[in-house]
Amino acid sequence: MKVFEMKDVKKAFGDLRVLKGISMTVKKGEITSIIGPSGGGKSTLLRCATTLETIDSGAIMIGDQTLVDTKDGKTTYCSKKGLQEIRSKFGLVFQNFNLFPHFSVRRNITESLVHVRKMSRDEADAVCDRLLEKMQLSDKADAYPCNLSGGQQQRVSIARALATNPDILFFDEPTSALDPELTAGVLRVIRDLAQEHMTMVIVTHEMAFARDVSDHVIFMDDGKIVEEGKPSQVIDDPQSVRTKAFLNGF
Amino acid sequence: MEKYISTIKLLSGGFVITLEIFAYTLVFSVILGLLVSKGRMSRNPVIRSLVRIYISVMRGTPLMLQLLLVYYLPYYMFGVKTGNIKIGPYSYDFIATIIAFTVNYAAYFAEIFRSGIQSMPKGQYEAAQILGFSKSQTFFRIILPQVFKRVLPAMTNEIITLVKDTSLSRILSIKEMFFFSSSAAARMSSIMPFIIAGVFYYVFNGIIEITMNRVEKKLDYYQ
Repeated sequence: MKVFEMKDVKKAFGDLRVLKGISMTVKKGEITSIIGPSGGGKSTLLRCATTLETIDSGAIMIGDQTLVDTKDGKTTYCSKKGLQEIRSKFGLVFQNFNLFPHFSVRRNITESLVHVRKMSRDEADAVCDRLLEKMQLSDKADAYPCNLSGGQQQRVSIARALATNPDILFFDEPTSALDPELTAGVLRVIRDLAQEHMTMVIVTHEMAFARDVSDHVIFMDDGKIVEEGKPSQVIDDPQSVRTKAFLNGF
Repeated sequence: MEKYISTIKLLSGGFVITLEIFAYTLVFSVILGLLVSKGRMSRNPVIRSLVRIYISVMRGTPLMLQLLLVYYLPYYMFGVKTGNIKIGPYSYDFIATIIAFTVNYAAYFAEIFRSGIQSMPKGQYEAAQILGFSKSQTFFRIILPQVFKRVLPAMTNEIITLVKDTSLSRILSIKEMFFFSSSAAARMSSIMPFIIAGVFYYVFNGIIEITMNRVEKKLDYYQ
């Protein structure tokens, strides 16, 4: 079952063409890693998929809903209500966490449950407690983000993204803003989620991690998918010259 | 000694009016300032320009002149006799004072709020959007509380200035504290009433400073 699909997505900022026709599919329970050099369009792809940027042409489907489609050369986005529904189906973990600094860890996780999903406080607290335990942060429920390490903050933001029980979770370089010794905890959490067959799309520079955890690897450069396949193909035995050159840097 | 006490009593009576001007202006101008800052950042270029002109005029002309303008405008422009206008216990003199102070201070507050709102990282909006918060929920729950913390020092400045500016309303014969201190000084041929008035302003501003420092400290729990 398809959870996410992009068809021939194109996106330009002014004259700069950032996505030059991207097509990809993510099946339920599948983990897709997107690798490639900076400026290759990985983050823009993720931002388009998560409604933070609009595309110029192509189609994006999340679950059974169409976010945007192009017919007869006309690109149309779904209604505002549709957008709201689609946003309830996915979660996004940012590179620099984007936690709400004025809220405690608990409120960071529960605020949208209470005010968007209209859960009761008790229900939301139960969800929060369960997730914090999973993130090994049970003792931090009442702490504020500024009192946590980067790794802890990122785990809170993963918990926040999971709280809405999404069908698919997107990660935008989740460990790039962290010191090396802090990445381990975050990667461990993502590994745990992989074992539970959470559907995930991960933009990452952690090659070893991508190889271990992914079902599917996409190598992107210059706004295009250069190579894709199983990690054993793309990472261990790349065919394209550009993929080889990129991976040699690691 | 008796002279002092009677002067202090007299000024205390006026101080109630000073406080009223201060409180009404603060409440109304913060609300209006928030709206104006929104207009200043509006996507509509007409609204944006109009608001920019408004702010420029308010900041570029004396508050004293604005007070007189608001006071005389209804009569000279429309022939409205303002002597009969009353809202509750308040005569038009007082209402004009509040209007002039509010539109003036709103311009300053608007620029403070704008700088605070524009200093917010984009990621806060994006995180809120992804979590499904509506635009108004995002503004009131996520953005505004953080903006408030950021603009607090600048607001304290304005609030302290407002306390002192209330004395300008004397020009419309508002019987606030400074009005009484001037008349008492003239009657008694003494500068003592002015000094007492100065103490009143200074103590009141001291209380404001301490209060705002406390609020700032209270918001220190996050960065």
